[in-house]
Amino acid sequence: MTRIGRIGAFLWSGWAGLAALSLLFAAWQAGHEAYGPFILTSPLDTVWMVARLAVDPAAWDIAALTLQRAVTGFLLVAGAGITLGVAAGYSPAALRLVTPLVTVLMGVPPIAWIVLAMIWFGGSDATVRTVILVSALPEVFMGAARGITTRDRLLDRMAEAFGAGPVRRFLTIGLRQTTTTLFPALALALGTSFKVAVMAELLANAGGIGGALADARINLDIGLALAWVLIAVALLIVVEYTLVQPVKAEIDRWRHAAQPWGVKR
Amino acid sequence: MTALKLTGIGHAYLGRTVLDDIDLDVGRGEIVALVGPSGCGKSTLAHIAAGLTESRAGSLSGSYAQHAMIFQEPALMPWSTASGNIDYVLRLAGLKRTDRAARIAEVAAEVALQPDDLDKYPVELSGGMRQRVAIARALAVRPDFIYFDEPFAALDVALRRRMQNLVIETCADGRLSGLFITHDLSEAARIAHRIAVLDTHGRGILGDRRLDGTPGARSEGDLFDWVQHATRSDPIFRHIYDVDERQIA
Repeated sequence: MTRIGRIGAFLWSGWAGLAALSLLFAAWQAGHEAYGPFILTSPLDTVWMVARLAVDPAAWDIAALTLQRAVTGFLLVAGAGITLGVAAGYSPAALRLVTPLVTVLMGVPPIAWIVLAMIWFGGSDATVRTVILVSALPEVFMGAARGITTRDRLLDRMAEAFGAGPVRRFLTIGLRQTTTTLFPALALALGTSFKVAVMAELLANAGGIGGALADARINLDIGLALAWVLIAVALLIVVEYTLVQPVKAEIDRWRHAAQPWGVKR
Repeated sequence: MTALKLTGIGHAYLGRTVLDDIDLDVGRGEIVALVGPSGCGKSTLAHIAAGLTESRAGSLSGSYAQHAMIFQEPALMPWSTASGNIDYVLRLAGLKRTDRAARIAEVAAEVALQPDDLDKYPVELSGGMRQRVAIARALAVRPDFIYFDEPFAALDVALRRRMQNLVIETCADGRLSGLFITHDLSEAARIAHRIAVLDTHGRGILGDRRLDGTPGARSEGDLFDWVQHATRSDPIFRHIYDVDERQIA
């Protein structure tokens, strides 16, 4: 029952999203009317282009390739980042050692990694996944490490006082507390995964949506390019709301417990 | 018969000796209150006795089967409902799912938690209700020894009294032993059979005083007189209200 209520509240909050999208499309339309269709295709024409792509099986393959790369890259970075971050969170010395490295890693532009990965792996899935891994790893790592370092140690003591061993304490108390900082980091990493996947595909000539964008650029087909951008954004939104948000909603139930229906926040 | 026996316990924190040569024992069915000024190492001693902190010297032996602990903060997991928090320690104690539900209902009734309170998250409960859940959690594992680490220090006077009564009632049947850490002498006098005083600098136990009668049966007037007498003329209680803010607990 409470779950149905939560889903209802979530869907109701969709009006705000719809309003924001309408504003965006209005601004887009204004730009189209000011600069003409060659510079900026109208939103309606772009949507028609998306619809035309939607009935083309080849377009589905292209989108699926990018989706596959972005999601596997994201899972890779989530796994590696959480493992390393949690380990560093429990070891202050390791965290102090790794933090400057994270800063260095963040300072290297993704484009540089694309060049390196192209040399190492050519135009393959591995190139795209490698670039996703190094670009999004610092965020996930710091999210997980901060979650562990800022945990409530009293809860650890409580669990220990009632007879929980170290592994049990980690699984039920430590890991659970990282979610506060980890989920924003994961949401950010997912966005990075899609952006970097498309960018890496475009530059490494590795097919997928990036490859399709490169073709649209060669043909100066702004409508097609915008349609692919729209598709990439739609894919990100679909994955975000099927993969990240449901888990987050389930885990963050207690945060909303004190905020009943209809209370403005 | 002793439930807990501490012999020559010593502890140091960052090279500073906080506890030295502490001897203390708690009998079966006895509640011993340990008082002393803030920062004298009372909590550390309780944590050593409960096995949360390793002592640097001395030995401890406990003959109880199951202990529980009530902390100064309720220490509830915020992501779990009241019943979920109690369920957690029951799972640690290895109870089966069906037994757990029955046990939660039982202890909730013991501490007067309503069934709909059990479904609430800690954020939805007041400070007193949270501490009530913490007490229920401690009782749920059927302990025969409870460590109370200044459990009511953060509550207001009226609530504190209610919680003290709750503890007195649950300990009244004589099956429970306990070590009750507090810096409030009147609280100690209400709850305990015997009051031990820790030295200001943690250098040993200064002594102990047994109170007449059983907790709960003493009149308010007697308690007041006892505390007045103790603080005025009993030398071991002379320094228990001294405060040194610079000292860390």
